[in-house]
Amino acid sequence: MNRVIDDDESLRPALTDLAFHIVIALGNGPAHGYAIGKDVEEQSGGRLDSSTGTLYQALHRLKEEGLIASAAPPERSDERRKYFQLTERGRRAAEAEARRLHALVRTARKRNLYPQRA
Amino acid sequence: MVRLYRWLIRLSPAALRREYGAAMEETFARRLNDARASGFSTSVRVCGRELAGLIELLLSERWGAPARLRRQRQRMQSRGKAGHMDAVGREIQHAARRLVRSPAFTLAAVLTLALAIGANAAIFTVVYRVVLNPLPYPDSDRLIALDYGFPTRNINSGVKYMSWQLYYQLADRARTLERVAVYNISGVTLTGTGGNPEQIQISRATPSLASVLRVEPALGRWFTEQEGVPGSPPPVVLSHGLWVRRYGRDPAIVGRSLTVDGLPTTVVGVMPASFAFPNARTDAWIAAQSTRGTASFLFTVMGVARLRDGTTVIGARTEMTQLIADLSRVSPTQRGWISTAIPLQDAVVGQIARTLWILLASVGLVLLLACANVANLFLVRSNARQREVAVRQALGAGSRGLAGYFLAESVLLSIAGGVIGLGLSWGAVRLLVAFAPVNLPRLEEVRLDASVLAFTLALSLLMAAAFGAIPWLAPLPASLHESGRSNTANRGRHRARHLLMGGQVALALVLVVFSGLMLRSFQKLRTVDPGFDARSALTFRVALPDREYTSRRSAVATHRAILDRLSAMSGVTAASASTCLPLTASCFGNMVVPEGVAEDGTHRPWVTFHAVAGGYFEATGIRLLRGRFIDRGDVERGEPVVVVNKALADALFPNQDPLGKRFRSATRPTSSLNTPPWLEIVGVVPNTPVASLAEPTPAAQLYMPMSIAGGPDIPGGTLLGPSVSKMSYVVRAATPPSNLVAAVRTAIGEIDPNLALFEVQSLEDILDRAAAQMAFTMILIIIAASVALMLGVIGIYGVMSYIVSQRTGEIGVRLALGADPARVAGMIIKQGGLVAIAGVIVGLGLAYAGSRLIASLLYGVSARDPAVFATTTVLLLTVALLACWLPARRGARLSPLEALRTE
Repeated sequence: MNRVIDDDESLRPALTDLAFHIVIALGNGPAHGYAIGKDVEEQSGGRLDSSTGTLYQALHRLKEEGLIASAAPPERSDERRKYFQLTERGRRAAEAEARRLHALVRTARKRNLYPQRA
Repeated sequence: MVRLYRWLIRLSPAALRREYGAAMEETFARRLNDARASGFSTSVRVCGRELAGLIELLLSERWGAPARLRRQRQRMQSRGKAGHMDAVGREIQHAARRLVRSPAFTLAAVLTLALAIGANAAIFTVVYRVVLNPLPYPDSDRLIALDYGFPTRNINSGVKYMSWQLYYQLADRARTLERVAVYNISGVTLTGTGGNPEQIQISRATPSLASVLRVEPALGRWFTEQEGVPGSPPPVVLSHGLWVRRYGRDPAIVGRSLTVDGLPTTVVGVMPASFAFPNARTDAWIAAQSTRGTASFLFTVMGVARLRDGTTVIGARTEMTQLIADLSRVSPTQRGWISTAIPLQDAVVGQIARTLWILLASVGLVLLLACANVANLFLVRSNARQREVAVRQALGAGSRGLAGYFLAESVLLSIAGGVIGLGLSWGAVRLLVAFAPVNLPRLEEVRLDASVLAFTLALSLLMAAAFGAIPWLAPLPASLHESGRSNTANRGRHRARHLLMGGQVALALVLVVFSGLMLRSFQKLRTVDPGFDARSALTFRVALPDREYTSRRSAVATHRAILDRLSAMSGVTAASASTCLPLTASCFGNMVVPEGVAEDGTHRPWVTFHAVAGGYFEATGIRLLRGRFIDRGDVERGEPVVVVNKALADALFPNQDPLGKRFRSATRPTSSLNTPPWLEIVGVVPNTPVASLAEPTPAAQLYMPMSIAGGPDIPGGTLLGPSVSKMSYVVRAATPPSNLVAAVRTAIGEIDPNLALFEVQSLEDILDRAAAQMAFTMILIIIAASVALMLGVIGIYGVMSYIVSQRTGEIGVRLALGADPARVAGMIIKQGGLVAIAGVIVGLGLAYAGSRLIASLLYGVSARDPAVFATTTVLLLTVALLACWLPARRGARLSPLEALRTE
């Protein structure tokens, strides 16, 4: 019951809000914790301004699930910094999540809960 | 602040600290810098948030779900097999939590199982220790009890007594026997150091007994061959019980002198605590003394032997029968006897084995009933769990996972039931031992041991497996969508529930029928006319030591003096004595010969002799059929008169008036002693039981004046009658018998202060004891049947209540549409009633088929007695319908609105 389903990302449970934002932040390429946190805050319009502890806990989870991985730091960077990058699996999970949200928006549109596309 | 943050990070789990500690510190530092640029309040807010976030992270990582998940993963990764064990342990943990959350279900299931398992364990303990466990002697399967039959006299087997002559014949010439021993049982008075004069039970045994049984005394030694020859006083070996009780475990007891029946004897040994031959009441063994030359032909001893290696019981019987035939050429009283020796274990256990197996089967039926009840509970519960199970299936749980889900619960319930049941059985065994009839063999060996524990564990695991299979019997829906909606699955579960309910009715009926048969049997046994009046009469035995009362005359005079004193006591309406009372077996017996018939030693009835004082029949309340009783004058004058019972009169003088006819005790034609005198029949009395109330054929009995019977100065070979040294007294009074005891002791003490009373009991006690074994069996079966009935009723009530709750909506609709509540109730009762009737039919079939098995326990009633079958069936059907009616009535009383709302 605790095994993560490897094969079909569409069947995995939805990403949390913070996790999805982190994955999107890494869509541009590898980044360290501080930068990721800043990106998430920007993407969410200040809504997701989590503490360092919460951020790194989420990063740790995503790493354990295989959606992100440690990345090699660039030359002459602060050696304390830890860099992360998106894995292929993480990319697929982000895609699936985006698709799910897109479908939800379509349904909301059909029910007049969300403005139609211009 | 960064330092504080750094210090707090140190509290996090090592792996997290190693991987992210530095990065977190750096990120915090940068954020703090940013915050400082925005102002003091922002800095404070950010600091607070950061610290709170870190503390939350620490707590979560150390003790929260992530920590648990991590530990789990570590365990699964480090050892593959341990991961599996981990899953099992987890499953059991979850199951335990689920059970704790449903206390009503858990309590009901555990208690039901505990009761049933406990009952089974208790009866199994008795069966195992009494019937199955080998006797406590080395190679006990090679031991045989010497038993005899006389086919031409319709005695197929069961005669335990033999003669010394036959003992020597077998000891000298039997090749199939390694060793033979003979023994008897008697009561003696023990005086000397240790306490007051005490009546104890002893066994006089040949020195060969110890080597036959292959036992050794715990202290001292057994008898030597020399001590088995007359010449010096025979030594005595004490039992462990007597040594502890009377001599306080005195280590110097060996070599001490005791006085037994007035004669000094020396203690040569003490047997171990576990030795109980021939029974647990034996207090001591005295060397039996005899020689080949003076060997008696009287049947006064019992025999036991050890088979030689490689021989069988049948082979030994054949050889012994041949040796008896050889012996009969020189000793005609042996003619016609055959050997019917049986394994000693069978002789010791006797008829009780069958009874015990039947009792075990009965509690087995109760266990099945309990299982049906618990299975129903499980079915209801699995219904409620549909959604949870469906979720598990959706998440990928295979059949193994689901089996684990159910099995974990059933294992926990069964183990809990087993443990509590074991505790209950310990108490039940103690009760059984305390209240069992005293003549239950090997009772002293009954106790809980490792085999009972193993039996209980096996039973519990069997239960666990059975309940774990419930889901497969009543299949669950295949998916979440189907849960609660599948008609097929619902129907399957209904069918299973009805099947269980019907099964319970059937099993309960079987037990109720059997208990009805036992009850009827017991009633019949108690209404058997014992031939005497058991009310308000005290009995006791007095033994006159041969040393002081050396002749028959002095013994008779003493008994008469005692009786005179007893008759003079206030409240006493009659007092008399006899050498043996009804229902106390081992009376003197011999063949008799009617006058005018040639003596050939065969085809003559075996008769039990009673030597009585005057007024015996009045004291015991035995009626007179014809003629007159023996009175005091007959005893004083030593008249050669006799009163016979109907059985003897019919055997000797069929279709004739026996009064005035004569017969005498039969002796060997070659005997050099005087022939016994002819005895004239002066009266006929009804038959009275000799050994048990349920005797298939009444025993022939005669009553003679004690002054013409045997005595200490009369050689046994004259076969005049029983020795009057030991007599059983009967004192009838207006007051309860127990009130007389003290006065009786005083009266006897005035005649001779050294005389001891023993076997003090009322005639009522004797009668009760005769029915004790049947009463005991009957009570146990009635208890089993009552429990079965109760479980059955609970089961039916439970199922019907559940059905009503399931049909609440339908009931509501019907009531709302104006249906008569009585008709609605009737509809429900019909559903339950049909199942109950089906169960009754099956139960009747089972009871009919199985009734032959309990026929051996019954008395005076056929195992297929129609009245019992009919009564019990009606009783069960009534109770079952009541159990259906109560929930139906409740359902029909619901307001339609309520009923519909529930749906």
